[in-house]
Amino acid sequence: MSAAIEAITGRYVTVEIGGRPHRLYFEEAGQGRPVLCLHTAGADTRQWRHLLNDTDVTSANRMIAFDMPWHGKSLPPEGFETEEYLLTTASYIDTVLAIADALGLERPVLAGCSMGGRIALQLAALHGDRFSGFIAIEASDFQPAWYDIDWFHRPDAHGGEMGAALVSANISPYAPDAERWNTLWMFMTSGPGVFRGDLSFYTQDDSLIARLDQIDTARAPVHFLVGAYDLTCTPEDAQRTADAIPGATCTVMEELGHFPMSEHPEGFRPFFIDALQRMSAPPGG
Amino acid sequence: MLAKWTAMGAGLDTRPHLLRLGRLFSETVLIQLGEDEYYLVFEKGRLVSVTPGPSRKTPWRFALRTDTQALQAFWQPHPKPGFHDIFGLVKIGHAQIEGDILALVKNLRFFKEFLALGREAGSSA
Repeated sequence: MSAAIEAITGRYVTVEIGGRPHRLYFEEAGQGRPVLCLHTAGADTRQWRHLLNDTDVTSANRMIAFDMPWHGKSLPPEGFETEEYLLTTASYIDTVLAIADALGLERPVLAGCSMGGRIALQLAALHGDRFSGFIAIEASDFQPAWYDIDWFHRPDAHGGEMGAALVSANISPYAPDAERWNTLWMFMTSGPGVFRGDLSFYTQDDSLIARLDQIDTARAPVHFLVGAYDLTCTPEDAQRTADAIPGATCTVMEELGHFPMSEHPEGFRPFFIDALQRMSAPPGG
Repeated sequence: MLAKWTAMGAGLDTRPHLLRLGRLFSETVLIQLGEDEYYLVFEKGRLVSVTPGPSRKTPWRFALRTDTQALQAFWQPHPKPGFHDIFGLVKIGHAQIEGDILALVKNLRFFKEFLALGREAGSSA
């Protein structure tokens, strides 16, 4: 009897971000057009594992996901112990471009969820020539926080457990229990201050709003996917953002929430496969 | 509704994981449903009393102010978007959360799972 070994492989690569070396973890599966996948705040590549194990996707796409610095199995930079982690638009863009270069990805499709969707749109505006299309999942121009991001990094309480309890508000009641809890586990186990540092970027940087009209969907298509149960980025938020980008399209997923690829993989896969079909043909293809 | 809260409190007693999550939660919570008020007193994760209000003399740590219709929608097996979470109720304008919100956030999983017991505990209001 053979064990159920998955097709996903994981490796490490050291890249320069902001002039400092960062050892990053990445996973991949499949062959064909490269699709670079970005996880949400406070989580890691495990959110993408269902699609990396989906042969209908990997038969024609090289699916790649990586852990951001400070997340999952990627280390923080040397000297982190005296630093405050605060993700910025600039460092996030540098990270995505550095991993694309390091892995030799030629005009990949960029698929990002939540803050990953936000930075995908920033890259669409500022580096659109580097990608062949953008799948912006639970993504919008800007979302101010109704909560205090400092709640999630304090010495008298567990930031991960509080963060998980908070983001559970964004998971659809249709999500299978097992995947709901696998999704929350990533938040529970994120490093101290990491979710807070991600939220700093997500809830305080509104620079995308003024850049939306720079996005050229004739060069690289932009498709939004948004779950009806997403309280953080509502269908109205995603549609408003899509409306500001000439040529962008948007699909509402009625029974999904803010972490669709992770919370409800079966429910999400048809929407993701449809989104892939809307992207440009791969180079030379 | 009093019987409903009592049944939910009994639900806590049969769920060791919730008693473990709530072991440091000893607070009074005000639930307001329209004109009706209920003061839920928790001690170490157990619901030890429910007192109907209104009362100006009873201190509470945090309050959830909503209405019976919204709470019934919240207690459906598959609530509509916005009705699926207490912060969703707030977002769509059907609830307010007041008081020491950090005390709620520190015990958020416990409190949410307590409220979700209403999806199965006892009869409707």
